[in-house]
Amino acid sequence: MFRRIMRPISPSARREERIFYLFILPWLIGLILFNAGPVFGMLGLSFTDWRISLDDLQFIGLDNYSKLFADPIFWTSVGNTLYIVVGRVVFGVSFALLLAILLNQKVPGIAFFRAVYYLPTVTAGVAVALVWIWIFNPRLGILNHTLKQIGITGPPWIHSSTWVKPSLILMSMFSVGPIMIILLAGLQGVPKELYESAEIDGAGNWAKFRNVTLPMLSPVLFFVIIISVVSSFQNFTEIRVMTEGGPGESSNVMIWYLWKHAFIFLNLGVAAAVAWIMFVILMALTGLQFRLGRRWVYYEGEAR
Amino acid sequence: MTTDKPKKSVSWLKSIEGRRAIGIIITFALLVPLGVAFVLPFIVMVSTALKPLKQVFAFPPTLIPETVQWQNFPDGWYGYGYVDFTTCTWNSLKITINNIIGNLVSCTLAAYAFARLKARGKNFFFAIVLATMLLPNEALVVPQYVLFSRFGWLDTHLPLMVPPWFGWPFFIFLLRQFFLTIPEELIDAAKIDGAGHARILLQIFIPLSKPALATLAIFAFIGNWNNFFGPLLYLRTPNVQTLPVCLVQYQGAYGNTEWHLMMAVATITVIPVLLIFIFGQRYFVEGIATSGVKG
Amino acid sequence: MSTKQLSRRNFLKLAAASSTGAVVGYLGPLSNIASAQDTVELTFGRHWEAAFRPRQAEYDEGFMERHPDIKISITYNTWADHNNVVPAWAAAGTLPDVIYVHGSRATPWAHEGIIIDIHDIVVADEEFNVDGMWEESVRLYRVNGRIHALPYDHGPIILGYNKDMFDAAGMDYPSEDWTMEDMAAAAIELTDADMGVWGWDGRLDLGNGGGGFFTGAWGGVHMNEDETAMTMDTPEVRAALNHWYNLTHVEGAGASGTEMEAFPNSQPFRAGVAAMGHIATWSTPSMRALANFEWDVAPTPMGPDGSRYTGAFGSGYGITPTSDKPDTAWTYLREYLSLDGMIFMWSLSGRGSPARPEGLEVWLNSDPAPPSGRYFLEAMFDYAVTGPPFQSLAAAQVSNILTREADLLRLGETTVDDAIAAITEEGNAALDSVADM
Repeated sequence: MFRRIMRPISPSARREERIFYLFILPWLIGLILFNAGPVFGMLGLSFTDWRISLDDLQFIGLDNYSKLFADPIFWTSVGNTLYIVVGRVVFGVSFALLLAILLNQKVPGIAFFRAVYYLPTVTAGVAVALVWIWIFNPRLGILNHTLKQIGITGPPWIHSSTWVKPSLILMSMFSVGPIMIILLAGLQGVPKELYESAEIDGAGNWAKFRNVTLPMLSPVLFFVIIISVVSSFQNFTEIRVMTEGGPGESSNVMIWYLWKHAFIFLNLGVAAAVAWIMFVILMALTGLQFRLGRRWVYYEGEAR
Repeated sequence: MTTDKPKKSVSWLKSIEGRRAIGIIITFALLVPLGVAFVLPFIVMVSTALKPLKQVFAFPPTLIPETVQWQNFPDGWYGYGYVDFTTCTWNSLKITINNIIGNLVSCTLAAYAFARLKARGKNFFFAIVLATMLLPNEALVVPQYVLFSRFGWLDTHLPLMVPPWFGWPFFIFLLRQFFLTIPEELIDAAKIDGAGHARILLQIFIPLSKPALATLAIFAFIGNWNNFFGPLLYLRTPNVQTLPVCLVQYQGAYGNTEWHLMMAVATITVIPVLLIFIFGQRYFVEGIATSGVKG
Repeated sequence: MSTKQLSRRNFLKLAAASSTGAVVGYLGPLSNIASAQDTVELTFGRHWEAAFRPRQAEYDEGFMERHPDIKISITYNTWADHNNVVPAWAAAGTLPDVIYVHGSRATPWAHEGIIIDIHDIVVADEEFNVDGMWEESVRLYRVNGRIHALPYDHGPIILGYNKDMFDAAGMDYPSEDWTMEDMAAAAIELTDADMGVWGWDGRLDLGNGGGGFFTGAWGGVHMNEDETAMTMDTPEVRAALNHWYNLTHVEGAGASGTEMEAFPNSQPFRAGVAAMGHIATWSTPSMRALANFEWDVAPTPMGPDGSRYTGAFGSGYGITPTSDKPDTAWTYLREYLSLDGMIFMWSLSGRGSPARPEGLEVWLNSDPAPPSGRYFLEAMFDYAVTGPPFQSLAAAQVSNILTREADLLRLGETTVDDAIAAITEEGNAALDSVADM
């Protein structure tokens, strides 16, 4: 293939370009129809005194933003968010990768285990609150009960300002199901021939993992990391069901701060401003990851 | 390659087997205890579904019900005659199936374009795909509701069933990553055979991406099947409601929640999903391993 | 090979199912429109759980028989979701005619134009007799002196106790002349750490309603009359909070925040491992459903100077500005919230605390009402006061701060002095921020 240089493009390139736009057309229409309005609406509304009613809105410039920056609880929520995001991404992705590798083994009964590990993903939602009371319950929970067996007095977990964030990170490890499934699909996509030829070259397990699995998996891993960062920023259910930002403000993350301003304090303008700050932070982080990704992500079929 | 195999010495084979045995032991040693933890939510759900209400909050809590109350299942499904779980389940099923197909079609097209076609403006539009994932949904709830109310779509399934046909950034990104792993030589070979992009997509990318497409289908299933806030907002009449919204109808104020009935219905509706997973996973997980990249 | 064929067949099945689905989806709403012609449709946004809907349906059927020209249709959300959905409805102008209004939401919703001023209709309707409602309950919905919604329930918070545990300890039940000191002494005596039982439930609620129970007896007042400033930095509030803090963290007679979380719904009293707890009329149905022991109620214990005080709170219904038929809506509400309506809906069903004293009297004979339920009635007449914050537009922020500091006190992560300082500083800041709204 020849490199394309910026100059009047050839008829075949033009045809390819037309096909490109034809293929992304549904998405583009949806973007304009369903997203553009709300998204730009939110941007505009973040500069108003919007509470609920959309009539008689006052333009108040950057007031919502300056109010946020002056609120120490907002900064606490930013700190809490970063803490939890880093924990969830580092531990969650490594744990998911470990599980995916285990579930990719050819051992008897693996189909059963795969089903078992999907379970929390499928039962998500309804049983969650009851289950975590079961597990994290400081007095009777399975976790502290188990620790007691080996002579450790367990911490109060989510009922302590010190322990709540580690607890939430630990809790998130049980919801790695989706990420694990993606990684498993990625592992399945690594051609067997590559392992076979590596074995012929005398490669051990670690060498195979390092030189075959990781590079072949890197595009999927890259996706998983980006998605983990985004979903950790936006994860809301556990905070709402389990901690409501507490104790104190110790698990108040940005999305909970946003929700509280929108639906409890009825300050939708402020909530819109929080959304945009989150957006900017995530944009910067994602941009950074794409830049770093160029160094470690290996695309088998990348058109260069 | 196949001719190499008989040449291998017996001890070499043994050491591979030995290694494999150790591998199996380690795998089980990790999978079993972790698996117990992962099954727990399901067990708690089923156990709650079998208890009388007073036992749900009995102290100390028990996993195995003292008395098994099978009546929870018919009672839960009946919903006091005012929550129609049969209709809710059908509505959820209809929306979910529609959305899986919609997402598969629209996202495959866009992902192929972003992964494999050259065009001016591609990076710009891909940045927008990513950007739309980054705005928290909670912030868009109200504006989106206003928008659909202007469309006159409230109390219909349209706000839930139409957008999936117009792509979903998360899935487009997911498929693009998978499509990028497919070797360029395959496309070149197909191009030499005179295949157009539609044929390359249909005959090379889709068969080779079965695990990725199945993953997408599973996510679309879970996401839509469990979608709560959308239906809660957009739907009002009982006969258009979906399952997650119907389930919480057992939730009352001031601790009045009938957990046993809620979990009974949840169990009934989770079991078919589980079966699909158990039987489906073999197909989707082994899709590429058997078809391979042999072309 | 065979898997391929299977998948294709499955695919076709799915495709067929989805296309019929789409058609049904299109036809569904259309077929709904035809029926409403001569009748006026009155729409509601309510929150009853499934178990209580047959009662509501029975009432509505009766109403529609009396008023054949009115058709009732209801959207149910859970109690928690209702408060999230209503703002979205309001922003899009798609509110139903009549909505459930929690007492704490009345002021902000009135301010945002989610519920309309119904003062003149209500006062003009002599037969409705708004004065027959408990004044403390109507007060919640009076915004700038004008009625914006009407209560259906309102309940005081008094002392609940586990008879079995008192019997087992051979102790007398809480009496009418108990002071908070007596209550604490009994709680300490009833506590048995080895058995894992506490004398006192351990909850500490400083928000609406609860605040009155926990600090009122000492003469503590949380906010000034018009809710423009916090008034908790006083010796009275300090004494009250020290009482509860010490009971839990010094005497170990109350479940701490950590220990309390061991219980689903966080209520050791309901779970049967705490001898006493505070209880409101509205929580009696769930006590009846869940408690595995005999229980009863007693008056809120008196403070050090012998005065009695407690908090009360409730919910109501309002009419929305989107409604083009407020008169029809009033036709419904005036019957629904009349004494007869309340007796049918909430007294006989046992569901809870009708906002009319005669309604509460009838409720005393219902199944969930405890044997000494008349103490609720007594509290309602004699000493219960609706608890702030509910008049300020920053009420939600203030409640949030109060709940947060109460949680930290229960967990032992803050001191009484620090909690009061935080509440005063942050509460006043929140109140100031809405001063000119």
